[in-house]
Amino acid sequence: MVLQAVFLITALLTLGSALMVVLHRNLFISALFLIASFFGVAVFYVLLEAEFLAVAQVLIYIGAIATLIVFAIMLSRGMMTGRTSPRNAQALWAAGGSLALGAALLYVVVFRVQWPVAEKAVPADMIQRLGTGLVTDYVVPFELASLLLMAALIGAVMIAREKEV
Amino acid sequence: MTLQDFMPILPEMVLLATAVAVLMVDTFLGDKRWLTWVGLVGVLLAGAATYWLALQPPADFQDMAASDAYTAFFRLVILVVTGLGLLMAMNWLEAHGEQQGEYNALLLLAAIGMTLMAAATHMLTLFVALELFSLCLYILAGFERERASSGEAALKYLLLGAFSSALFLYGIALVYAATGALTFAGIAQKASLSPLFLAGVGLLIVGFGFKVAAVPFHMWTPDVYQGAPTPVTAYMSVATKAAAFAAFVRLFVGTLGVEKSAWVPALAALAVLTMVVGNLAALSQHSLKRMLAYSSIAHAGYVLVGLAAANTTGTAAVLFYLLVYAFMNLGAFAVVIALERQGEGDVTLSQMRGLARTHPLLAAAMAIFMFSLTGVPPFAGFFGKLYLFQAAVQANLTWLAVIGVISSAVSAYYYLNVLVQIYMADPETPPTLAWRPVLGLATLVAVVFVVGIGLFPDFWLQLALGGMRVILG
Repeated sequence: MVLQAVFLITALLTLGSALMVVLHRNLFISALFLIASFFGVAVFYVLLEAEFLAVAQVLIYIGAIATLIVFAIMLSRGMMTGRTSPRNAQALWAAGGSLALGAALLYVVVFRVQWPVAEKAVPADMIQRLGTGLVTDYVVPFELASLLLMAALIGAVMIAREKEV
Repeated sequence: MTLQDFMPILPEMVLLATAVAVLMVDTFLGDKRWLTWVGLVGVLLAGAATYWLALQPPADFQDMAASDAYTAFFRLVILVVTGLGLLMAMNWLEAHGEQQGEYNALLLLAAIGMTLMAAATHMLTLFVALELFSLCLYILAGFERERASSGEAALKYLLLGAFSSALFLYGIALVYAATGALTFAGIAQKASLSPLFLAGVGLLIVGFGFKVAAVPFHMWTPDVYQGAPTPVTAYMSVATKAAAFAAFVRLFVGTLGVEKSAWVPALAALAVLTMVVGNLAALSQHSLKRMLAYSSIAHAGYVLVGLAAANTTGTAAVLFYLLVYAFMNLGAFAVVIALERQGEGDVTLSQMRGLARTHPLLAAAMAIFMFSLTGVPPFAGFFGKLYLFQAAVQANLTWLAVIGVISSAVSAYYYLNVLVQIYMADPETPPTLAWRPVLGLATLVAVVFVVGIGLFPDFWLQLALGGMRVILG
């Protein structure tokens, strides 16, 4: 009962801040709402007994990504005070299309599927298994992700570097 | 785990070593042109590794990536394209004063992602490989930092690419929810027509549609292809298509083949839209790069015809066509690079006027590429289209083949218009060339293959059939 109340409140807060990210006219405040939304997702992970994911969510999404976004906005000229309009000529079409797609997916996910209920509790050595999995069974995607980061680094250097003439 | 277990991904490891070597050598090398040759040696070594692997019995790496005849075919296509991409960019980078080390390293990293797309037999590998080559291409699209349109292209590609990746990932999640499996083999076992599964498959089609530039997911293509540096456009127009279609075919025809009644109508509809819209929009373009962008959309439509046929001939035809398309489209872009004026980043149709008089060889090469893109025998493009449309007829999709033939007749107008400008119009100002030996070499290779595949299509079709057997058993 308490859990359900927590879930409902978190869900409302998460969705509300996600909406504000898209709708607010000031980019900086949008970024702050994004942090709130990330935090809501972290709470969901806790409710799902995925504590490690929750910690990772807070550390990576809030600690790194959101901070980076805030820095990028603060360092860009005119972004702090300027007001942007989130609407454009296609706003109506886009909203209609997204709502239709979202409704269709929700209908399928909520009403048309018999979701299996997990029989066993989450094993206690979950984090160990995750760690072992990353360097054994899932080593290819794991290493590929590191290549991805290397490419991103090269790209960042390329964009930031002064051109030598 | 022994060293032997790593062999199925040997070509990728060679490419990675090369990319790192390029970056290292870059720091203490005066003449940056050597970097291209370092990259090319790596590509050749990776090609040798692929050939050696093709002689071994098929193997896979922990159910993540398979090394079989199908992978080998696409590895060779992508390695050839990467090699030509390195060559085509060399003089261009020098002339524009851009960073050769970063460019070559990013191109090699993109190639790793692309070959793994073809090899992937697990949704995680597939997705990370997709992201790897996409990220490299986002950066490469913005490589010409002085030109605003290059930055615009990079940003547009990044935003829409991220959007499509999210849809693709959601598709993977729904398929996982429906089947409880992430390996292709596991998904094939549990595939059913449940609503959840269908929703996932639909989102996967959207994600692939973005990557191969199928209508209506093509909106980014003209702007990105026009704005990106021409060597990058050349590379991504062929390599992205080959990689994305490689995974598309393995996942749909191979893994989801049992449920093909569910997705064949969707792909047939996509094919029709893509062919018609691509060809009609190409008619009214003045910029050569923009015209080739719409033409590449149309060609994605032809390949989708083979995919929608979902039979033996169709799958082999898709492989064959992607090989042929790589050479003819790269060749056409090589000519664009040669004609491009410093800092403009694009070539208009009127700049082609009278090219035949001043540069007859280049004009002849362009004529071969244009005829092949139109689908005129005896060039390779003709056989590519022939096999694709034949497959559609065999799969009782005759109407699809008819629409394909009609729309490629329309395409003759804009391809041949280029030749009219080259051979019959008087030049306003004589075309000036940024023509250099290495670019010439790349063009020559493309010409040799377009003519060679056209003269001996059977050999290449057998290769494609060998790859197909892996997919359809």
